[in-house]
Amino acid sequence: MLLQMEKITKLYGDVAANAGVDFTLEEGEVHALVGENGAGKTTLMRILYGEETPTSGTIRLRGKELVLRSPEDAIRAGIGMVHQHFMLFPSFTVAENIVIGREPRSGILFDRKKAAEEAARLSAEYGMPVDPHRRIADCPVGIQQRVEILKVLYQGADIIILDEPSAVLTPPEVKELLAAIRGLARRGKSFILITHKLQEMMDVSDRITVLRDGRVVATVRAADTNVDELSRLMVGRELVPLEKRPARPGDPVLEVEGLTVRGGRGKAKPLLDGVTFTVRAGEIVGVAGVSGNGQTELVEAIAGLRRIDAGRIRLCGRDVTGADARDLRRHGLAHIPEDRYRWGSAKEESVADNAAMGHTDSAKRSGFLLRGRLRRMAEAWIAGFKIKAESPAVKAGSLSGGNLQKLIAARELAHGSPLVIAAEPTRGVDIGAMEIIHAGLLKRRDEGGAILLVSSELTEILKLSDRILVLYEGRIAGEFRADEATEEAIGRLMAGVTDHAEHAVSAGRAGRSDGADLAASRG
Amino acid sequence: MRILRRLADSLRGLVHPLAALAAGLAAGAVAVIAVGGSVGETYAEMWKGAFGSFYYLTNTLARSTPIMLIGLGVALAFRAGFFNLGAEGQLLFGALAAAVAALYLPAPPALAMIAALVAGIIAGGAWSLLAGWLDVRFRLNLLVSTLLLNYIAIYVCSYFVSFPLKDTSGSAAINQTNMIDRAVWLPKLFKGMSVHAGFVLAAAAAVLLFLVLRHTVAGYHLRMHGSNPLFALYGGVRRGRLMAWTMLASGGFAGLAGAVEVLGTQYRYIDNALTAPGYAWSGIMAALLANSHPLGTAAAALLLAALQTGGMGVERNTEVPLEIASVIQAAIILFISARFTRALLKRRKARAADGTAA
Repeated sequence: MLLQMEKITKLYGDVAANAGVDFTLEEGEVHALVGENGAGKTTLMRILYGEETPTSGTIRLRGKELVLRSPEDAIRAGIGMVHQHFMLFPSFTVAENIVIGREPRSGILFDRKKAAEEAARLSAEYGMPVDPHRRIADCPVGIQQRVEILKVLYQGADIIILDEPSAVLTPPEVKELLAAIRGLARRGKSFILITHKLQEMMDVSDRITVLRDGRVVATVRAADTNVDELSRLMVGRELVPLEKRPARPGDPVLEVEGLTVRGGRGKAKPLLDGVTFTVRAGEIVGVAGVSGNGQTELVEAIAGLRRIDAGRIRLCGRDVTGADARDLRRHGLAHIPEDRYRWGSAKEESVADNAAMGHTDSAKRSGFLLRGRLRRMAEAWIAGFKIKAESPAVKAGSLSGGNLQKLIAARELAHGSPLVIAAEPTRGVDIGAMEIIHAGLLKRRDEGGAILLVSSELTEILKLSDRILVLYEGRIAGEFRADEATEEAIGRLMAGVTDHAEHAVSAGRAGRSDGADLAASRG
Repeated sequence: MRILRRLADSLRGLVHPLAALAAGLAAGAVAVIAVGGSVGETYAEMWKGAFGSFYYLTNTLARSTPIMLIGLGVALAFRAGFFNLGAEGQLLFGALAAAVAALYLPAPPALAMIAALVAGIIAGGAWSLLAGWLDVRFRLNLLVSTLLLNYIAIYVCSYFVSFPLKDTSGSAAINQTNMIDRAVWLPKLFKGMSVHAGFVLAAAAAVLLFLVLRHTVAGYHLRMHGSNPLFALYGGVRRGRLMAWTMLASGGFAGLAGAVEVLGTQYRYIDNALTAPGYAWSGIMAALLANSHPLGTAAAALLLAALQTGGMGVERNTEVPLEIASVIQAAIILFISARFTRALLKRRKARAADGTAA
């Protein structure tokens, strides 16, 4: 046995993030760790990476007890971690990023040539091709991730922790990543994989450990289980399949015409280039695409948070081009923002205060807040969306990501506004929260709301949308009706394959019937 | 249950400042010993100078008045996320405007007094608003503009009181305006004591500001903007308007501080009389120490004033020089702002965790 974590317990105050967790890893094994948000996966991995010390429990590496006080200790013991958000220096080269922290030297100087050689050697040895001299900023996300893994290998890791590695990748990039993981495992490297994507995990893992409420619910061999069983184990109950009736689109609510947002100074390529589309009442229009292809700009422009350079936007028949967020909200916009911390909340303020944003107009009397009413409103959302919060008085930042996201979704859907922009509404949230948010969006649609769903999660797009647009490099690369969309066809457009003949309907629905992810198979 | 928890929370909140006070006094003791003074005597004199008798107590309250008002204005701006460091200039224009109104407005005394207070608020607010406008219109960094506008204010006010408004009747050694008519003065709270009605205004303003921040829509928007400006923007808060009103009110507080100093303590505008004691910077310090909480800012203003009056007591009655009193003050302030207890507790917890893990 390479690694044994025994009876790991981590208490935060009275709350046990981990309660007597046993976890083992064998040499050359890929061991997936799954569970809902707040189940304790991250805590367990932070303990293994030396970022947290356990309240009790022991870690053994090759039978020897290990005390980890910092990530440096972990790296020295051969444990490396690739975070969900890459930690690379964009303006430096691939080689420089790989050797950072342990740079080869000649005398007191940094030996750039040696660094490039090292990078090339590693890349060849492990079969993960990269160009050592290319700047990170010029590398696609898939390559950046490869660099992250090479960096960890360069540091001498035998155990590699990958946190949500496929969250930002296109479908072909995910395939490559999974192949790379299998290849490295064959060479004796061991992986711990944290992920929400069950099918992906089934494909690549040897064993799967399911955590719930800080405890191990089960450790199973991937070959002996299936996606349905795993999701049951994670959630602790049967999932109710989402009921989706056919859409009955009404009048146009959002009309976007020729929307253009130019890049910063010196950037020739516009971030958004003549984007035109319409969202009608009672339909969900999904915008698919790999993140960074203009989705952020599109959402911010429509929500009044970014200046547009050309084009017109109409909301409920009214020209709202250039209007600010205040006017847009008054004229019927609700917005679940892409980044819940940047736009969607104030971490240091209470849940009640965070819930009140945008609702003060309906809960005030001559300039005074009706705090009681706001509080009851927040309490109703906490109950209705099953938000785990001790009370509306606790800081929003103390909520887990998924629970904060539910709060934001509840707050925005509660307006009952004609238009809802839902940008990455379930990014990084667990299945239970996803179910609730998806149900909320569909309910709003059935009530006659127009919903613009922007997501880099293809399964989410396929599950909810009535029409699908694919955004690639700031342009709409194609449009599909929900019943003719396949994961392959959309995936090709997302990756920039311009052969339009390919996305003909005849391609079939292989992508969906496979149940590429739980979300799709349940949809 | 909730009330109990809240009580426990606020008690826990007291642990830190009290511990900091103790640590600051201990550090100060070292300084006293270093210059050969007696620690016990020094602190006894310090206490006496600040609270030792009714006279000294009211003296401390009088000194805290402008600090409190300025601190509240700064706290308001800080809570909205605007770094208004222009309290000094706003204070001076407020004081000068109040003096001019009190001297030259042809009105019955009571009315003239109110008009002078309002003039102070408007002048301070307008000077502050100018910085806000420069930010919104020209993206001029508020921190820089408010700091630099201080210099303009200092010299402009100095000019007015040295030339056009100068009192030429008395011994002309000091640049000052004429004396304001006694009927227009702010009433004293106690006969023969220096504390005046301005202190009541300041205390009331602290409570008012607390309520406004907590219970009004505007206060809510302001707090959210201070906590995460993008969140406020996203929710429909308009930055420009918020900034204008906040800066106006923030400067208004400083202007009012100037007005009550003129009407309650000095009875005329005297050059350097408001800058030399460093009221503006003490006010900013009070807001910083209290993390911009209005009631906390008021308490911090009292503490700072007590340290200053206490320091004067030390200088009057012991061999320990005033500089050492300043060292003690600085040590206490440093310890309070270091928030060291929390860090210490955390480290001890981590160590305990290590122990069981090993």
